[in-house]
Amino acid sequence: MSAATPVVARRMSAAAGELGKLPAFLRRDFLTAWSYRAAFFTDAAALFLQALSFYFVGLMVNPEVLPSYGGERATYLEFVAVGIALSVFMHLGLGRVATAIRNEQVIGTLESLLMTPTATATIQIGSVVYDAVYIPIRTAMFFAVIGIAFGLHFEPSGFVPALLVLLAFIPFVWGLGIMSAAATLTFKRGTGGISFGVAILTLGSGAYFPLDLLPEWAQTAAEANPLAIAIDAMRNALLGGTGWSGIGQTLLLLVPLSALSLWAGFMTFRTALRRERRRGSLGLY
Amino acid sequence: MEPGPAQRADGAAAPVVELVGVSRRFGAKTALDDVSLAVDRGGISGLIGPNGAGKTTLLRLLTGLLDPSSGSVRILGHEPTRASRALRQRIGLVPSGDRSFYLRISGIENLVFFARMHGLRRRAALAEARRALEEVGLTDAGRRPVGEYSHGMQKRLSVARALLTRPDVMLVDEATHDLDPGGARRVRELVADIAGSGAAVVWATQRLDELRGFADHVVLLSTGTVRFSGSVPDLVAQSVARRYVVRLRNGGLDGEELGAVAERLLAGRGTLTMLGGGSSADYLLSLSPDAVLGEALAALTQGRMDVLTCHEERSEVEEAFLALTGEEEGSER
Repeated sequence: MSAATPVVARRMSAAAGELGKLPAFLRRDFLTAWSYRAAFFTDAAALFLQALSFYFVGLMVNPEVLPSYGGERATYLEFVAVGIALSVFMHLGLGRVATAIRNEQVIGTLESLLMTPTATATIQIGSVVYDAVYIPIRTAMFFAVIGIAFGLHFEPSGFVPALLVLLAFIPFVWGLGIMSAAATLTFKRGTGGISFGVAILTLGSGAYFPLDLLPEWAQTAAEANPLAIAIDAMRNALLGGTGWSGIGQTLLLLVPLSALSLWAGFMTFRTALRRERRRGSLGLY
Repeated sequence: MEPGPAQRADGAAAPVVELVGVSRRFGAKTALDDVSLAVDRGGISGLIGPNGAGKTTLLRLLTGLLDPSSGSVRILGHEPTRASRALRQRIGLVPSGDRSFYLRISGIENLVFFARMHGLRRRAALAEARRALEEVGLTDAGRRPVGEYSHGMQKRLSVARALLTRPDVMLVDEATHDLDPGGARRVRELVADIAGSGAAVVWATQRLDELRGFADHVVLLSTGTVRFSGSVPDLVAQSVARRYVVRLRNGGLDGEELGAVAERLLAGRGTLTMLGGGSSADYLLSLSPDAVLGEALAALTQGRMDVLTCHEERSEVEEAFLALTGEEEGSER
């Protein structure tokens, strides 16, 4: 124990030091995002217009085809709002994680960053810490805006469980993003692959239409789709008011999937970085 | 334990920076071939060579961003690619090019960010960033986005970043490229100060004359191989200048007429090419292969031609560079 204690203490101190660097990434990316102020406002306006479009689509949709949550049939806008929020969350999250390191490579800061005494994991986490804060805020704003503007009814008792589902889902997206970043580091291009992967997951998630409309084999496949699992749990929480009881099973499925995704992400990224160092193509893009 | 230079068997400290028989290949192309280099504490080693000589590859090996194909690379006694974070803390890098900053945020915010990556708390990082900006003369521009900086300002900012943590090893790649003479001198002074405080410096450059009075040791690279390794005076000794700029006077003659008279006096020892306009008195004297400068000048003066000035067309360092790399002015690699 006596020999192990200083080692543990040193590791704890190093980990604390690395964690202490994350606010610097947050500040850097906030300042960068703020330098493109117009994008903030156009993004908010786009969100509202998207909701408005689905409001009109909802007027055409027969409510009989929509599932019930907590014994009550949801309107199409309520149904699709959760789907949009999660799928956009995934699209943005995955895209940003995958391109954060790529952006560092393109603007030429990756090598400067790797030259600092900062752990690779810290660089990976730090590169997305701003999005990890901003995207959930954006998602909450989306719910708030369409809730107020279109008079949607969300169960207040479902807010915290829904947030928990979201938190369990974040590492899954993050892991996929890091894997995409590793692919981008290796193959220099990879955003097409990301978009394709997101499109497949979104199609099989029931974000925009009930999964019952899919062929049976696709419905079976959707049961293993983490996006579908997260969306369904959030609908149950926010629209059905199932509270904590409705998310237990979901968390049991999501947490291991997220852990696996994150682990695979870190491993592939580390391998990609090592390969680039060996080949000498780290600065190439 | 703090990483530091190992001890040799004879008890002397090993060099802070040491490459032994290092080669690096990229597929079929050999970028570096059997290169050795050693820089002691407080030493400045100049690395010169034409474009594509392997200077940047060598620096990337030292930073650990690249693995050697063979040979040994050690910094402060450790392999850079397996460098601990404590070792990276002690290395300052000024990369070539100006694509190494976040262009949308200010110079000071960039420095604070990199200082935080070196483990400094925000308050300390801010203080170090201000000090470094002042050292490179960018205090007034500190609040402006780096994207608005000129190339020279970005270079100075790059030097400021390397100075943030007062490194023990400073790796500098073309730091004065595109800087005005005053800015270049300032950067050299800053790096010389760092070396004076005990840091080992590797300074890659194509500005050969800046090594004079600055570098203790020079390694001349060409196509990945070491063509020369020694002191600047030893490098200069390699030069055999063959072309000189001379200013002549002979009564009322000038221009082509003056040149024709002078060339007759040279009697095959060399040729003269007029420089400048039609009434110029400046000529480029190109010595014939076996001619000696003294004899050529004596022939002119004996013919009542005054030689007002005479200097080498290129500096002796440049001459040595061209002689050792086999390059000629204007040639493309």
